[in-house]
Amino acid sequence: MKKFGTLVWLEHRRNWLWSLPLMGSLLFWAWGIKQVLVMDVGERLGIRAGLLAGAMTIGTVILIMMIGRIRSETRNGQYQVLLMSPPSGYTHILARFTYAAGVAFAYFIAIGFMFWWIFELAGISFDTGSLFELILAMPFYGMSVVVLPILAYVLLLMVFVSAYRISGKGWIPGVVMLLGTPIAMQWLSDWMVDILWKLPSWNVFERVPAAVFERFSQADIEATFMTATNEGGYSGIPIEPMLVMLALTAVLLVIAGRIWQEVEA
Amino acid sequence: MTQAFLIVVRILVVGLFLFWGYRLYRGTCSWTSRVVGLFFSAVLIWQATVGTWILNG
Repeated sequence: MKKFGTLVWLEHRRNWLWSLPLMGSLLFWAWGIKQVLVMDVGERLGIRAGLLAGAMTIGTVILIMMIGRIRSETRNGQYQVLLMSPPSGYTHILARFTYAAGVAFAYFIAIGFMFWWIFELAGISFDTGSLFELILAMPFYGMSVVVLPILAYVLLLMVFVSAYRISGKGWIPGVVMLLGTPIAMQWLSDWMVDILWKLPSWNVFERVPAAVFERFSQADIEATFMTATNEGGYSGIPIEPMLVMLALTAVLLVIAGRIWQEVEA
Repeated sequence: MTQAFLIVVRILVVGLFLFWGYRLYRGTCSWTSRVVGLFFSAVLIWQATVGTWILNG
């Protein structure tokens, strides 16, 4: 545990120039939200939500760039110098992923708060339960389905490419993996569609304020959150994509850790 | 483009992916990397052959 904590601290030392500006960029987005002065309340809320969607996309790209900076470290071998007993490859991978995932959680929870803020500015108030769902449940769901698997994938990609650095063919593993991934993802998504709604759904936003539906149509909200409806009623979001992508994240991390173990041992 | 041209292109592409798979197998001492490399090479070969035919059919 001490090794793991040390590695996470090292990750912070290596990456704070990325993570702190990422968190600071939220101030820029908050300033941008205040600059939206369209008269129509619904349109203003839509533009502000679009800005936050941009913040989520750009934040994800920055996190990918941050976690992908692996080659400089493996060349220097700084961990072996700093620690008395070199930790396993799994610990390295887990520490790197934990730091990036922690920064991502903080970032997306802050985005959740900003969504609450723009809803308040539009005169839509959430009760305590819905507020927690907005700032905790939805960031967790979105990160589990999209961000965490991407971070684990980038980690595996970089470790996989690094495994060939001695033979000097770094571009071949990179190209093969990048070309093959969309095909493999298509198979995975086809399978996910087949198993969708087999398990009980996650009933978030059951007590969502009626004002939300006044601003946006029911169809828009269902399209956004992939919700199931029972005769026009709301019955939550599917839990299968979250479970599948969390399992995929774990598998990618184990493979990356195994490769690190084999290459660096 | 004629069917014969497409078949030749497909054979060349499969050959390239097979060569890449070979390089990925020989280029590392890590067995897990070899498995990952062969998996993605196989995915590409499958897409260039069976997968494409399914799409065309």
